[in-house]
Amino acid sequence: MAANRWLATGNFFTTYQEEQRTFITSLDRLIFSLFLIVLFIWPIFFSVSRTYMLVVDNILVAVIAVLGLNLVTGFAGLISIGHAAFMGVGAYTIASFSRILGDSHIIITHFWPLLIFIAGVAGAITGAIVGLPSLRLKHLYLAIATLSFQMIFEWAIKFLTFFNQGQTISVGRVVWFTGEVGRNDHYIFWYYVALVIIVLFGFVVSNLFKTRYGRALVAVRDNDRAADAMGMHPGFTKVYAFALSGFLAGVAGAVHAFLYKGAGIESFTLHHSITYLAMAIVGGLGTLNGSFWGPAAIEILNLQVEKFSEYAGNYLPSAMNLATALRPFTFGLVIVLFLMFEPRGIANWWRIAKSYTKTWPFRY
Amino acid sequence: MAAKQKSVKTTRLIHLMLTIALVIGLTSYADAAGKVYKLGLSLAITGPTSDAGNPYAKGVEDYFRFVNDTKLLGEDKIECTIRDDQYQTDVTKRNFEDFLDQGIVFYLNYSTGSTLALKKDFDEVEMPVLPASFHAGNIEGSKYIFLPIASYSEQTILLAEYIVKNSNGAKPKVAMFIHPSAFGRGPVSDLEKAVAAGLNIEIVEVVEHGNDLDNTAMLQRLTSKGVQYVLCQTIQSPVATMLKDAARLGMTAKSFGEAGKITFLGAHYTGGNDLIDLAGNAAENFFWTTSYTVTSEPGPGTDAQLELAKRYGRDNKAANSHNYANGIMVAQVATEVIRRAKEKGLEINNKTLYDELNAMNGDKAYQPPTTVGAVTYSPTDRAGVDSLQIYSVQKGQFKKVGEPLTSEYMKKIK
Repeated sequence: MAANRWLATGNFFTTYQEEQRTFITSLDRLIFSLFLIVLFIWPIFFSVSRTYMLVVDNILVAVIAVLGLNLVTGFAGLISIGHAAFMGVGAYTIASFSRILGDSHIIITHFWPLLIFIAGVAGAITGAIVGLPSLRLKHLYLAIATLSFQMIFEWAIKFLTFFNQGQTISVGRVVWFTGEVGRNDHYIFWYYVALVIIVLFGFVVSNLFKTRYGRALVAVRDNDRAADAMGMHPGFTKVYAFALSGFLAGVAGAVHAFLYKGAGIESFTLHHSITYLAMAIVGGLGTLNGSFWGPAAIEILNLQVEKFSEYAGNYLPSAMNLATALRPFTFGLVIVLFLMFEPRGIANWWRIAKSYTKTWPFRY
Repeated sequence: MAAKQKSVKTTRLIHLMLTIALVIGLTSYADAAGKVYKLGLSLAITGPTSDAGNPYAKGVEDYFRFVNDTKLLGEDKIECTIRDDQYQTDVTKRNFEDFLDQGIVFYLNYSTGSTLALKKDFDEVEMPVLPASFHAGNIEGSKYIFLPIASYSEQTILLAEYIVKNSNGAKPKVAMFIHPSAFGRGPVSDLEKAVAAGLNIEIVEVVEHGNDLDNTAMLQRLTSKGVQYVLCQTIQSPVATMLKDAARLGMTAKSFGEAGKITFLGAHYTGGNDLIDLAGNAAENFFWTTSYTVTSEPGPGTDAQLELAKRYGRDNKAANSHNYANGIMVAQVATEVIRRAKEKGLEINNKTLYDELNAMNGDKAYQPPTTVGAVTYSPTDRAGVDSLQIYSVQKGQFKKVGEPLTSEYMKKIK
């Protein structure tokens, strides 16, 4: 390690522990801390409309979900196209409490952090069960198994009267130290909750890869037979990857249920599973920061394309439905072009930017 | 020098006077330009059910353009933002929040799912809402949701009553063919209640359809159970598939209630020209109910509808769609409550428009040209047009069957 802890120009590690540090230099730590502070204080200084706050909240919920998806698909190499269903398990765990106790029962309004944790556990258990076929299946075959779970989940929710046959089950407003979180503070409040969860799990996932359990995920992804020969347990690793992923999805689903004050099947369909997968790919599969970039990019792109097609609608002939077609066409085109020219995702841009600044002020 | 200074002062004075005149002029122009009332509509222009949502959006858009172009509200204008939510509740919620940020005074919603999901939000912000969904559950426990026409339950029960009236005292065997969602299931329990209240039919089976491309087995099963009538509460495409299969198997009744055959009937979203396009000849003798006038039965309402479509360059498909009429109608109701509030000199906001909707009854009932009956609302009446017209497909067109009716059993089970 360079003597100067503030400006390490290049990789000069002398011990394994040094290489494993979360922050290579003090400058990294300072920048990250400042960034974190900005994330926490910007809503105090800037007034954002409820619409945009909801968009930001949606991004954060998607970040939690994609963090989980990246664990199982990006790091462990197990394709999951049932991730929205895992989120649904979390959301419907909250909805079940609401259904049984009433949507404004004290357990829902006051003990919501506990409920979010329980929803995560429910997601983890479901993930572990759904992950069992991964002991025998790989690649596309495993993808089909997770797709089956998505189908079974949707069918079960739509047909069971306990789950209101897919109609929204209402979840009441929660209580914080300042009293009930009202309509005006609702989106800000859930912004902070989601942010705290992301910071917490961001560090957990980051540190996971410094442990043998995290490294086992990558080893199994790269070659499960070699990992087995090295003394790892590929089966256990795969199942626990699904469980971890399910936990994060369950937490995301629970936050979604509280954010939208209800759970309905329309938010946890195959379409959503594909969207989360797209977020993970666009962000950068197998990278931690890709889990943040992907959801932000897709949500913002979606919003901008929506605005663009709305604007274009003023000029295009109304009889031809061109403005209507413009939205899915533009969205699809941007994604395809992006994947063609940057298949490693936005995280790769971040890597390039970082490696360039690492040697600054020297070019080499 | 002094003369030059005087000239500068004079020039400044002229500039000042001109500026004041400009400000006064602009202010008076702004007054003359009138007020702008903001409304919002979130619906599925793409994605599931967009076949209905697309003409519906055009109906709303065209009617508000017509209101502004022809100065129906004087110098005041309606600005209705229409957003595609792709039938996703999360997007509908975001759109609704955006509309609130824009300061809407009235909201038009679309799907059953999103209407149910946002019910509490509508109550919290006290926003009057007209959805395109006629699900009876929308108005349960909500003060601010108003159904444009009779609910799906009422439509289904009315069709069942029509079956009974034309069955010569026998107890007809009926099956229900429904969409696997809240939208489809809504009328089932209400029809069962009507049967319990004395409606003389036997519900043999309730079929929730999937994405089946062939209904042969289902139709054979229904026939073996002696089913004479199938009541549909879904969208057009599954009905068209079933009708084509029934025609292929020779099961379709040539006249209403033909013995040994099946007569098919359906609620609002099962019918219309799209059904005829999809099912072709197999749609013959399909019985359908809605509260809207249809262009195959010309009248002042349909003439106005076609004129509006022509004015704004819509194609024939959209112009003749009953969902285009559906969109026009909700825009007409919204415009009417604004007009009434304006006439009373009230400030136009969500509260006054809500009050105006509640007062729309008795001699203040509103008769839009696009419906077969008057729109009536009150604090206890949340369904707009109570009358329903039964149509049947004859030679490839929907033709009236009798006069508009209202359901007797719906009143009994309320």
